[in-house]
Order: sequence, then C-alpha cells, then structure tokens
Amino acid sequence: MELGRKIAEALEAATFERVAGVGLANAEANRSRIARSVLDLAETPLGAGEAAIVVGAGPSLYRRRSLERLRAAGFAGTIVAADGALGACLRAGVVPHVVVSVDPHPERIVRWFGDPTLSAPRGDDYFRRQEMDPTFHGDELAANRALVELVNAYGPKIKVAAATSAAPAVVERCEQAGMDLYWWNPMYDDYDAPDSLSRRLWEMNGLPCLNGGGNVGTAAWVLTHAVLAKARIGLIGIDLGYAPGTPYEKTQYYPELVEILGDRHREAFIHTTHPETGEVWFSDPAYHWFREVFLEMARSADCRTVNCTEGGLLFGPGITTATLDSFLAEAAGDTTRHG
Amino acid sequence: MPEFLKGNYKLDAKIEDKADATDSTDEFEKKALSRLGGSICFVSKKSLMWQGEAQPKASRATPGNGDKDKAKADGAGPKDR
Repeated sequence: MELGRKIAEALEAATFERVAGVGLANAEANRSRIARSVLDLAETPLGAGEAAIVVGAGPSLYRRRSLERLRAAGFAGTIVAADGALGACLRAGVVPHVVVSVDPHPERIVRWFGDPTLSAPRGDDYFRRQEMDPTFHGDELAANRALVELVNAYGPKIKVAAATSAAPAVVERCEQAGMDLYWWNPMYDDYDAPDSLSRRLWEMNGLPCLNGGGNVGTAAWVLTHAVLAKARIGLIGIDLGYAPGTPYEKTQYYPELVEILGDRHREAFIHTTHPETGEVWFSDPAYHWFREVFLEMARSADCRTVNCTEGGLLFGPGITTATLDSFLAEAAGDTTRHG
Repeated sequence: MPEFLKGNYKLDAKIEDKADATDSTDEFEKKALSRLGGSICFVSKKSLMWQGEAQPKASRATPGNGDKDKAKADGAGPKDR
C-alpha cells in the first residue's frame, strides 16, 4: 500500500490524540460563555427553502470564482461557511448566515476572523501557506486589518456555530465583533463506550455532540444536514485536496510530513484524476482521510449532497456532482415555486 | 524455543527486554502521527449527531428509513421545521 494511504488509515486515532486534550480544556474554559445550543439555530430564521450552500476554503473558490457567482445569482437559501472561508466570503460580498469554528489551536484560528492584536507577521506560516486569496500574499498586515474591519462590520449579521473545543481567543473575537454564538460539542469517541469523553462532555454542558468528520468543512456540512435539516446541500470550496500545480511546500501538512518522513515525504502525496475534468489533483494523508470520511458519512446521510466545486477530489457514492450554476438555478426554481 | 536451537554457551552481553523499546517506539509514532491529524475527531459507525439520552427521538425520523435516520441523529433530533 502507498505510504500516504497507510498513514491515512491511522488518522482517526491520531486526530483524537491531537485534539482531545486541548479541546476538552477549551470546553472547560468556554463553559461560562455558553448561553445557547446549536439546536437553537434550527429555530432561527436563516435562508429560505430546503437548499443550502456550504462554503469551504479550498482553492476552487478562486479557481472557479464560486463566491462571485453565488453572489451574482442572488441565492436565497442558507449559507454556512467554514471559519477559514469567512474572509473570502466577505471580500466577495457574501455574508454567510452561519460560520462554523472547531479547531482548538490557541493562536492560529483567530486569524480567520481578523486578529485585532496582530501587529507583525508571526513566525508560524500556517496562515500564509493556506490563505488562497492572492491579496494575502502581499501585505499580510494590511489584509488582516481589512478583514478585521469587514468582520466588525458584518459580525452582528453572522451567527457562529462554535464547538466547545474552539480556542478562547476565537470566542472572544467573535463576541467582540457582535456575533451570536451557538454551541455544540465535538464527538470525540463512541458515546456508548464506557468512560466515553463525549458522554462526559454532554453530561457537563448538555450540548449535542456532532460527528465532525476530521475538518471544519465537513463539520459545516454535518451541521447543515443534521442540525439545520437542509435536504439539498451544495458544496463550494470543499475540494479535500490540492489543485494541480500546487507546490508541495504550500500544502497544509508539509512541515510535519518533512519532519516525520524526511526524504520520503513526497511518497505521502496521493494523486488522483478527476473523472469529469480530467485534472490531476492530489491529497496528503490528512486530506485523503477527510475524503474517505466524507464519503462514508454522505453514503448514509438522508440528504442530497451536490459537489459544486467543479474540481477537487470529493466524488463517489453519496455525492452528486453538478455545476454551481445548475444547483443555484434549481434552488431558485424551488424558492419561486414554494414562495 | 526448540531444545536443539539453544546455545551451549553463555553470552557476555545483556539482552534487554524489548517490551520497553516497543512501547517507546509506539509512543513516538503516535505522537508523530497526531501532528498529521485533523482539527476535529471522526467517530466511525456512529450517528452524525448525538443528543444524549432520555430525550425524544428525532421528529423527522420516518419509519422504514431507520438506517439513514440513525446515521443522522441519535437521541433527539432537530425539531419540526
């Protein structure tokens, strides 16, 4: 078996190792701030109809100008964005109804909301490596300041579905920007197992546990289906892979792969041809695992999931592929028919 | 070990029990792999949402669609919308 696929098989347990400790500590730290459950979102007016768009931060957002097209179409349904896609949404003039945040990292994630405390570029290049918008590759500080202003301006219109694992700095930033927070627990383990952490967490705060699927984009899809009960969900920016021509050193886990595998790090990348576009995209072990997990979840989900990224690596049983324009046209027809 | 393979001599070197070494290798691998993991867990073969116990079942659940509804939510699901 290829090295990348072999590593991917170990990532369910590895992710628990990575996030459980800090996630539970954050849950404890966030406890006093929890006022609303994510279930309350289901009772809150969001977009019209049964269709929703879930926005991830993948490269297709820019390659396909998905957000500009979404805005131009005047989509009336619900828009749920991963936190990493918030900046791209606002810069494109799309204000999501809900933003989902889960990552417990103490410093990185606040940048997706604009970090008012940032006065110099940080040594950690996580953000620079992943921010797909070319405007961020120039003056990082100016781009951050612009995002701070955008989030401050639109924050009161945006609801945050915050996992209890979210870093306190993110929670503080959202509150400061006037965003309403709706809380949920990440599902850490089998809630039926003895000494389950998920169960202990639920006993502590009474919040529902969502099976996150490894990454915030998948968690946003889970929320849109299981909490908001949307029956038809279009995906944009959820590529679960890297676009053709992306240098390996620009990929999310590159430093870790080099450190762990040394000269063999190139063997960890998995290349796949998209069946419709013929483009060769690639993934690393983490994104390969995310893809496998998404397909497993989508197969048993009681909704129609339409991949409108027009590329990427998310295809297979349980996923329909369509152009964004056709998804939006169908949704517009529904809204017109049903008012 | 079969009798005929046993040596008829004594070794000067001390043979370490490999159990500790294996444990530390496992631990190293576990820690290394954790750096490649995601930002949120995935729990295979469980529902998308669990709301604890002693709550009503999901109101959207329909008879005959059990597997799919089970995949969606254990415990109380979203209210009627």
